[in-house]
Amino acid sequence: MSGTIVPTAEGRSRSRSRVPGPPSPATAASRRQGLARTRRRAGLLMVAPALLHALIWIGIPLVAAVVLSFTSYDVLTPPRFTGLQNFRDLVSDNVFRRAVLNTSIYTFFTVPVAMGIALLIALMLNTRLAGRAIFRTAIFIPQVTATIAVALVWLWIYDPRSGLANAVLSFLGLDGPAWLSSTSWAMPAVIVVGVWQGIGLKMLIYLAALQSLPVDLYEAASVDGASKVRQFFSLTVPLLRPATFFVFVTSVIGAFQSFDQVYILTDGGPANSTTMMTYEIYKSAFREFRMGYACAQSLVLFALLLFLTLLNRRITGGDRATR
Amino acid sequence: MARRARAGRAALYLALIAISLVMIVPFVWMLLTSVKTPGDIAAVPPRLLPTHWAFGNYVDALRAAPFATYARNSFVIAASHTLLNVVIASMAGYALARLRFRGSSLIFLGFVGALMIPTYTKILPEFLIVRFMPLFGGNDILGQGGTGWLDTWWALIIPGAVSPFSVFLFRQFYLDLPVELEEAARLDGLGEFGIYARIMTPLVKPAFITVALLTFEGSWNNFLWPLLVTKSDSLRVIQVGLSVFRTENDTQWAFLMAGTTLATVPMVVLFLIGQRYFVQGFANAGIK
Repeated sequence: MSGTIVPTAEGRSRSRSRVPGPPSPATAASRRQGLARTRRRAGLLMVAPALLHALIWIGIPLVAAVVLSFTSYDVLTPPRFTGLQNFRDLVSDNVFRRAVLNTSIYTFFTVPVAMGIALLIALMLNTRLAGRAIFRTAIFIPQVTATIAVALVWLWIYDPRSGLANAVLSFLGLDGPAWLSSTSWAMPAVIVVGVWQGIGLKMLIYLAALQSLPVDLYEAASVDGASKVRQFFSLTVPLLRPATFFVFVTSVIGAFQSFDQVYILTDGGPANSTTMMTYEIYKSAFREFRMGYACAQSLVLFALLLFLTLLNRRITGGDRATR
Repeated sequence: MARRARAGRAALYLALIAISLVMIVPFVWMLLTSVKTPGDIAAVPPRLLPTHWAFGNYVDALRAAPFATYARNSFVIAASHTLLNVVIASMAGYALARLRFRGSSLIFLGFVGALMIPTYTKILPEFLIVRFMPLFGGNDILGQGGTGWLDTWWALIIPGAVSPFSVFLFRQFYLDLPVELEEAARLDGLGEFGIYARIMTPLVKPAFITVALLTFEGSWNNFLWPLLVTKSDSLRVIQVGLSVFRTENDTQWAFLMAGTTLATVPMVVLFLIGQRYFVQGFANAGIK
């Protein structure tokens, strides 16, 4: 190994000129081995920066989260091992239980509603329409703007006295509530923002999926006299199943990690009626400095998301990523 | 038949226009509020259009809080993230796609697995790593005594320097390139890095643009991490600046909406310019 010399470009050209015709088998084998070693070294060198970064900022944090979840730790004093105490506390934490329920409710409403609206829009856009790009752009803009900025705009829209929402309701002859201060209306208000901001991406994925469907199937169905509605339920819905499950699981993962809207719009209130798992983790860690407890909470979040991801893999019959 | 088709098309247009308006109206309301006087803003019922177009609100907002500094900070951070991601992730993606080596499959699976780890599981330990960074911010070799990277550019830039998604996206792009190209380059005596830099990378320009746009957009819009690791006004990013301004100036809606406009418009412009690449990237980025 150490004795082998990797041929340089000049060396290769010299040996080529010196020995006309095909090189000897030994020389060819040696050259191939050298090239393979060069590629291996180059591969490792090229992936090293990203790998090192991932190990430090993803690998270590993941291990640390697990370890710290078994401790009592406030950053100022060394962590103290407490076994499963954090998880026992979790089970009896009424606020965290409420947060799990709220996160589930938020996800249960925002994801299917946004998916349904997105599919309708995608179906409408999947036709030859003048101005199609303009509609797609308008519908997608909420996706590229910051959740914080968007939440602040909606904060103003929901203002009980001067907000646009109550102005519209007033115009329709209805009295609007103090949306964000009402235990009944705060969560619906947050859900509306989640649906509104989530439609664009889902629409995009559905549109891409629709545009890749085989045209000949639909032509055959039309010849057989199948109506548009029948074609939709018999052909489009089954053919879109992979896209639907992809949209569903990625949307659920996103919804479970909602934080910015709640932070700006409701601060988890009123009376914890809109607090989310992410918000409780933030409070435990950075307002109460209960790092061990916050890590335990975050592992519950991770476990739920891992379950959903594995469910996705099972249902779609394989991971697209492992080509 | 033609009449029914025309009616259907008209209904389609009406529906799409209505939906587009619903998506756009909050932004219109933001813009209109940003140029209203306090009197117009406090009117009951609310006034749609300003009676006086108070463009001076933007100047006043820039005085009420250092939004220009916030925007500059966000720009520096987003540009740094974009540059670092594009360079480091493209090298890694290329290596994983074209230079199979011992452990490369395992490394790739590691990056895919990293995509599944929620932000909220790793953000707390990441904060602790930053806080206890040895030899920075008054810390000793064991990371004790000071504040480490907190309130520094390091904390804002390094953790976001590479994203597993960027690596994944580059790998997918490089996988599609024909093997003949690199074999020909190798015969011509080009080294492995030269093949990556001079032959293969120019062929995946769309990947670079897509990753650059998505990275910049994600970084500019970032809120929680900058909130956690910075306290000083001089390092505040635009999204945190907006949040702080709101809690400190609860009734200054005109200034807040002016600030929000300044925070939102760059991303909308960026999207309009790079729409094709955004669409391509977001279609792959459902995991985000």
